[in-house]
Amino acid sequence: MSEAACARRAFVAVLRRDLAIFMSYRTRVFSQAMSALFSLALFYYVSRLVHVSGFGSPDRYYAFVVVGLALLGVIYACFTTPALVRQELVAGTLERLVLSPFGAVRAIIAMTIFPLLYAALLATLSLGLACAVFGLKLHWSSVPLAVPVTALALFAFLPFGLLFAALTVIVKQDNVGTSWLVGCLSLLGGLYFPIALLPHWLQVAGKLQPFTPATEAFRHLLVNTPTSEPLALSLLKLALFAASLLPISIFALSAAVRLGQRRATITEY
Amino acid sequence: MTLTELRSATTPAAPRALPARAPAPPADQAARQRREPRAAPLSLRCVTKRWRGARVAVLDRVTVALQPGTMTWIGGRNGVGKTTLLRIAAGLIEPDTGEVEVWGESARENRVRYQRLVSLLAAGDRGLYARLSVRGHLDFCARIAMLPRSELQRAVARAIEDFGLEELAGRRVDRISMGQRQRLRMAMTFLARPEIVLLDEPLTSLDADGAEILRCAIAEVLAREGAVLWCSPERELRVRFDARFALEHGRLVGA
Repeated sequence: MSEAACARRAFVAVLRRDLAIFMSYRTRVFSQAMSALFSLALFYYVSRLVHVSGFGSPDRYYAFVVVGLALLGVIYACFTTPALVRQELVAGTLERLVLSPFGAVRAIIAMTIFPLLYAALLATLSLGLACAVFGLKLHWSSVPLAVPVTALALFAFLPFGLLFAALTVIVKQDNVGTSWLVGCLSLLGGLYFPIALLPHWLQVAGKLQPFTPATEAFRHLLVNTPTSEPLALSLLKLALFAASLLPISIFALSAAVRLGQRRATITEY
Repeated sequence: MTLTELRSATTPAAPRALPARAPAPPADQAARQRREPRAAPLSLRCVTKRWRGARVAVLDRVTVALQPGTMTWIGGRNGVGKTTLLRIAAGLIEPDTGEVEVWGESARENRVRYQRLVSLLAAGDRGLYARLSVRGHLDFCARIAMLPRSELQRAVARAIEDFGLEELAGRRVDRISMGQRQRLRMAMTFLARPEIVLLDEPLTSLDADGAEILRCAIAEVLAREGAVLWCSPERELRVRFDARFALEHGRLVGA
């Protein structure tokens, strides 16, 4: 039996565990779907109330902002990993992961997957609700392309969760600047308005992370919003972010766990 | 001999008829074959650990070697360093200096193989997911122990049976008692048939049946020529230890 097959099963086991724990809270899906519905309703009426320059009609702005809202959930999901690691530290279950042949690093990587997949599912649900309830018109011919782009985007987003998880292993806090960072990214990523409205230096900062090209690509594929750069360039940026940040984040996480073992703080919380 | 067979043999009035099973393979058969001929199952050599800012080391050049098929007890006052010693032996934390080896190999050389051979039952009632079922825990443990597919279901079924968890298998951990949780934690510790078992105050919350189950689980490890290291402040008089030590001022002394 190959080591890789055993590791793959262990990886899936973490996903199954997270799913089982998630499903034990029976009203969670319903309450999150309701939250999404309220956000969609709020921005639907805001789009009717306020004339936004640069958008031909309220429907165009609504389509623009709905994709931003859907992505906001995914960005939040990236930064839930520190909270999950903190829970494992407090419950003493991280020790078990460290002591397992699968190991803490692979387990923490696996831990990031369920929140991201669930956020992607919730984003799809949001788009569905926006279509069904508020008349959002999707650009159906390019919607299927959003699926592989989602996978690419998740690989580009994943390192952020891992880097903050590494920080949590060391400092034992889950709010290691994640809340303000999500706020910052929603601004720089152009989730609610085009980043062209930002001062030039902030626009440059917006291009130094993968959330902006991902938002642009999704908007173009889902609701046919014009892009500020060719779609291929946005995808290339995502691929480069994923290829460069993933090894760095995994290295940082490994180093954090090793440091915790050396200092004997891995058992502290 | 499997744990269940041991229980049947040592408990004449066993309440349940336990079916015979084919013995499962040890945790890492390949590792067993690669053993150094004269290496101890677990050896700690000159292990020193000093907490940051502390003037004296909590463990000061501790040296101990467990022999195959034996159970060793280490006692000592609260805070003397017993848990730290177990954590170092388990590979959870690293010593400042010194070597820890299982069958002549350290965790640094091959972490995966080391963790396949060693299992730690930590003190207290931590290390469980409140909303995950008993069977969910065992299944999760079997998979992160990277057991082969053919062994997964059998290991979980064996653990449920051996540790008397049949009626609890579908229940969530936050809905079972402390003693039942301790049984589950024991089942998780012994599930992958480790060769070295490290026990930190294992009798916590256990009733007489639970203690008997633990005794049988230990006997099965010893029958496989494994080794057990048991730490507790006071020596359990009902338990027979092959070697006894006490930790005093960071050093191991005979007890």
